[in-house]
Amino acid sequence: MSDYIVLVKQVPDISQITDNAFDPVSGTLIRSRLISVINELDVQALATANHMRDISGGDGKIICLTMGPPKAEEILRYSLSRCADEVVLLTDRALGGADTWATANPLAFAIRKIAKEILKNENDYYVLSGMQSVDGDTAQVPGQVAEELQIPCVAYVTDSKYKNGRFEFTRIISGGSEVAAVKSKPAVITVAKYEYPMFASFGRSRWAQHVNVIRWGTGDVRASSIGAKGSKTAVIRVFPPGKSSRKCEQVEDVGTLSKLITKCLGENGLKSAARIQDDGSYVLVKNRESLFDRRFEGLEKEIKDYALLVEKLQELGVGEPGDLDEYAKSKLIVESGKRFHKNTLEAMLEGFNLSEPTYNGEVWVVAEIIDGQVHPATYELIGKAKELAKSLEVEAGVLLLGNKIKDMTDPLIWAGADKVYIVENELLEQFDPVVYRKAVSDCIEKHWPQIVLFAATPQGRILAPMVSYRCGCGLTADCTRLDIKDSSRRGEIAILLQTRPALGGNVMATICTKNSKSQMATARPGVMKRLPEDKNRKGKVIRHEVNLSEDDVSLEIIESVKGNGEVSLDADIIVSGGKGMQNRDNYERLIGSLCKILEKNFEKRVEKGATRAAVEQGFAGRIRQVGQTGASVGPKLYVAVGISGAIQHMIGVANTETIVAINSDPHAPIFKQCDYYMVGSAEEILPKLVQSLELH
Amino acid sequence: MKDIDKYNKTDVLIVGGGPAGLAAAIRLKYEKPELEVCVIEKGQELGNHNLSGAVLEVMALHQLLDDVRPGWMESNKAKEVLANKIEKDSITFLLGKSLSFNIFFMIKIANMLGLSLGQMMHIDDYSVSISRLTRWLGEIASELGAEVLKGFAAEDVIFNDVKGVVTGVKLIDQGLDKEGNKQPNYLAGEIVKADFVVLAEGCDGLLTENLVGKAGLERKSDQLYSVSVKELIKVNPDQYEKFTPGRVVHAMGYPLWRPVIGPAMFGGGIIYAGMKDHLSVGIIVGADWKYHDFNPQDALVRFKEHRFVEQYIKGGTVVEAGAKMIPEGGYYAIPRDPVSGSIGIGNCIIAGDSAGFVNMLKIKGLHNAIISGTKAAKAIASSISEPNEAAKQYTKLIDNSSVDKEMMSGRNYRQTIAKLGPLFGLPISVLGNLLPKFKVEKDYEVMTKAKYRFKCKHRFDKDTFTAVAATEHREDQPSHLIIIDKNICVEKCAAKFERPCITFCPAGVYETISDEVKAANPSNCLHCKTCQRKCPFDNIRWTVPEGGGGPRYQRM
Repeated sequence: MSDYIVLVKQVPDISQITDNAFDPVSGTLIRSRLISVINELDVQALATANHMRDISGGDGKIICLTMGPPKAEEILRYSLSRCADEVVLLTDRALGGADTWATANPLAFAIRKIAKEILKNENDYYVLSGMQSVDGDTAQVPGQVAEELQIPCVAYVTDSKYKNGRFEFTRIISGGSEVAAVKSKPAVITVAKYEYPMFASFGRSRWAQHVNVIRWGTGDVRASSIGAKGSKTAVIRVFPPGKSSRKCEQVEDVGTLSKLITKCLGENGLKSAARIQDDGSYVLVKNRESLFDRRFEGLEKEIKDYALLVEKLQELGVGEPGDLDEYAKSKLIVESGKRFHKNTLEAMLEGFNLSEPTYNGEVWVVAEIIDGQVHPATYELIGKAKELAKSLEVEAGVLLLGNKIKDMTDPLIWAGADKVYIVENELLEQFDPVVYRKAVSDCIEKHWPQIVLFAATPQGRILAPMVSYRCGCGLTADCTRLDIKDSSRRGEIAILLQTRPALGGNVMATICTKNSKSQMATARPGVMKRLPEDKNRKGKVIRHEVNLSEDDVSLEIIESVKGNGEVSLDADIIVSGGKGMQNRDNYERLIGSLCKILEKNFEKRVEKGATRAAVEQGFAGRIRQVGQTGASVGPKLYVAVGISGAIQHMIGVANTETIVAINSDPHAPIFKQCDYYMVGSAEEILPKLVQSLELH
Repeated sequence: MKDIDKYNKTDVLIVGGGPAGLAAAIRLKYEKPELEVCVIEKGQELGNHNLSGAVLEVMALHQLLDDVRPGWMESNKAKEVLANKIEKDSITFLLGKSLSFNIFFMIKIANMLGLSLGQMMHIDDYSVSISRLTRWLGEIASELGAEVLKGFAAEDVIFNDVKGVVTGVKLIDQGLDKEGNKQPNYLAGEIVKADFVVLAEGCDGLLTENLVGKAGLERKSDQLYSVSVKELIKVNPDQYEKFTPGRVVHAMGYPLWRPVIGPAMFGGGIIYAGMKDHLSVGIIVGADWKYHDFNPQDALVRFKEHRFVEQYIKGGTVVEAGAKMIPEGGYYAIPRDPVSGSIGIGNCIIAGDSAGFVNMLKIKGLHNAIISGTKAAKAIASSISEPNEAAKQYTKLIDNSSVDKEMMSGRNYRQTIAKLGPLFGLPISVLGNLLPKFKVEKDYEVMTKAKYRFKCKHRFDKDTFTAVAATEHREDQPSHLIIIDKNICVEKCAAKFERPCITFCPAGVYETISDEVKAANPSNCLHCKTCQRKCPFDNIRWTVPEGGGGPRYQRM
């Protein structure tokens, strides 16, 4: 019978961030001040493992593995108190400071060791883990573990059944769900949802304290890439997210409100961190008037430092880097000794000699096809890729994979692509992670673009980690901002700086790639800006042949359901009802009619949401609950009807672009936390609003 | 497979990981290291469900720790917990919205005259965070080998009435949905067996009250309660300095009491200096208030608006908040076995607030909780061969301790005030023990149609209050708050008192929905249990929710 290795991680509890967790000066979240807990999705993965063991009538072992500081033992004891039989703690100072690459690598080596020593070379096991952790939100490690182990990966699993002697997994895919089975074992399963986490029993909890934790260090697992050294990305800056302030404008009539709604849905792009400012696009060093021009350093501080240095150099009569002789240099070292360390200064001076970009090659987007069409997010990424390519003076390419896709290339070119690489193959008809990974990495390794962008969709978020691992490149997930900058002091020119939220949006981090031939990133749909379509644009279409065979297919897809009626709160628009809806009928009818018209008018994904109170009253199922104990959402538009605006609810909608509130209580707290509001009851306003939207 | 079953029995089970329970665990492991000692705590972490002012008489910690951890005062943890020694003790009388008088001299006089009221002095005590104190005691207990199990809630005590002993406790079932159906992760509550049981659940303990009923324990006088609401406010450094870091203020009068014209409630406000730049501001009010529209949080708002208070907190941020009840009945409200007089029965001991060891003259109970815990440990250690003697041993030790002396000296204080009202009661209580024992009504019986004069215009923002209390329960579980007879709410209470639970519940748990009073938001519950003691028709029962739920106090 199958055994189960569950990857668990200790994370800071971001649901309990107190005021003293922020640095008063920098405003940055201090991670060590947060309480440590086991990652919520890993709890669900653990319960899924137990569920799988139950439904298959097995008696296999559940072994939990974590990598972390010695303190991470706590979550292993937690796992033992639920259902784990044995636990392994991978802990070593040398493992610290790792990115996802240098995390996945030693974990995979540890899994090999577990399979060999504890499971006695049995290959009948599953590796389970939460889809992602709340601190990083990258969802990269499980896919990369699968890639290192060369085993199938079923991502975003929401349910598992046992039929005819094998497991059938229901998983989320872009735009729907599917039921799949793995064609071989072992396999990695990443859990996106399992509603029934296990409880600790008293007896097990006491027993858990007496179990021997197996401790391994780097010497035991002999991984190939560990710690900061083995990482392929580095965080160069952490900063607090810009506080978005809500407009709080009262709207008197529905006509104005419907216009405002139309307007904010028409604006493309986020006003959040994605586009705070655009400080002029990057200019290659060779195009600058002087080699001394270092305006495009990634960090503010470096720009200032360089400006100061240039000033000093000019005082010394040094006009360009070539003029700098040993005499001038020694003088400089003496004069600016207070401000710069000697090594720093030398590194900075060294930087002046650099003019060639660190990376070469094109800027690529890996396209995604959904329902026979190119995913809208692909077009957005092409817009960004074109912008980056332009400032780098290279071409923007799109990699399009699928079956019968040759007619789909024109719109990609119209959207900004200079080249479209197409890989056509019957086996690419459906998304199979291993087949796709093989095709994409094969093509990348032939052309070596300097930047590769993926959409952070369910498909992109599993494909990108596997591809990046295969190609030996760093990857940054869910970027909200991508810039080309220099880091002259570190000897890097025209590199891609990748900015993303972390710790549940409580901090922003800027990351750069290292030790890689290509810089890879994913970006959430809706964050980047699509270029206006230009049907006169011309581009090249290049076919790429990849040798694929049936043996490469890792999953058997049993059934796939498009837009399966499952509630998906990652919609573009969410209309939520609160207790003010009075009853279920009102909720269904009024919220439903507004959803329908919004969907029709704007062709966006619209979903109904609810407050905890409305769920308690039975207006809507718990799956629709938005807020602290429900889902956290970040749509373009959130319409809150009959919702008072309790802080527990508002926490869950903090990342929304525009919030519209309708409430009959003129003192409702939500009016101070939204962009537009109308005072009035749902029964009175919603039908009129629907009518008004119909006219548009 | 494993030997898990053997872990369902332990030598000593302590219910409640607060100061009393942890003190018992520490002493037990110190005196009898070979004993298996388990502490269960319903909060997610230690300290999460502990709320107090809190003023601590440090001699309790000396009694507990001096031989367990010699030199403990010098440890970093102790220095952190005991960072605020009280150097300035103010008692202020507030009259109206802006006047204040310092009346500390009166207490000093009472003290010099040897009157019991003179006990209300706090110099050389420490102003502490009980949450932190508890976490620290928990660390010591664990280091000594006690098993501290967090997130476990007990729903009942198993009493063998033939033998007159408690055989164990029943934990709550977990994994039921709202309607009580078993979910796939259902886990039946285990029965934990123990040779000795210490009930240290805090005020109005669920198991304690069950035991009182099952074992026929008696109180000479009904328990009386106070409700306290407290906010931890971050103020600016100037305000903190102005207030003085080593200071505690106890305020009487407005907004709870004004001479003659009312309102007439027992209680007062507190401002304690806490950790750097933080002040604890709270209201403690006797639960025998008669105003049906009264909410202690309204009084807190009024108190904070008073000029005397406002100067220290204006512009500050409430970083944590919470509510809790205090047992105030005193000596006569301690539950005892009618035959032996023991506090508890047989092998089961009742300690701390569960027993009601709060000295209302001092307005302190923390020291007594710790001392009673140490006595419980001593009693168990000396009854290993005869477990059924433990409660009697314990009672003997308590009777010969400072706890008993204190409780005796204040035995009539609270009842006198309850009977005669603050205006006459307070001065008369000075006569202390010369007074007879007054028979007083239960807290819930005194509700009237009268209105609270200083009610706030805007509804207190209970959502934000519960948010900073960080309270949370698993949503999809049966409501742990039970309205016994729905008709009473509609037919009797609505007309007579306008459903006061909706108003006084500090967490806004109760709401009227389609003309029916419902515990609509049980997941906001702060576990203060005011509803169970203040519903004018005694129509609400607080049962325990799944472990791990409830507030998550860090610095209260």
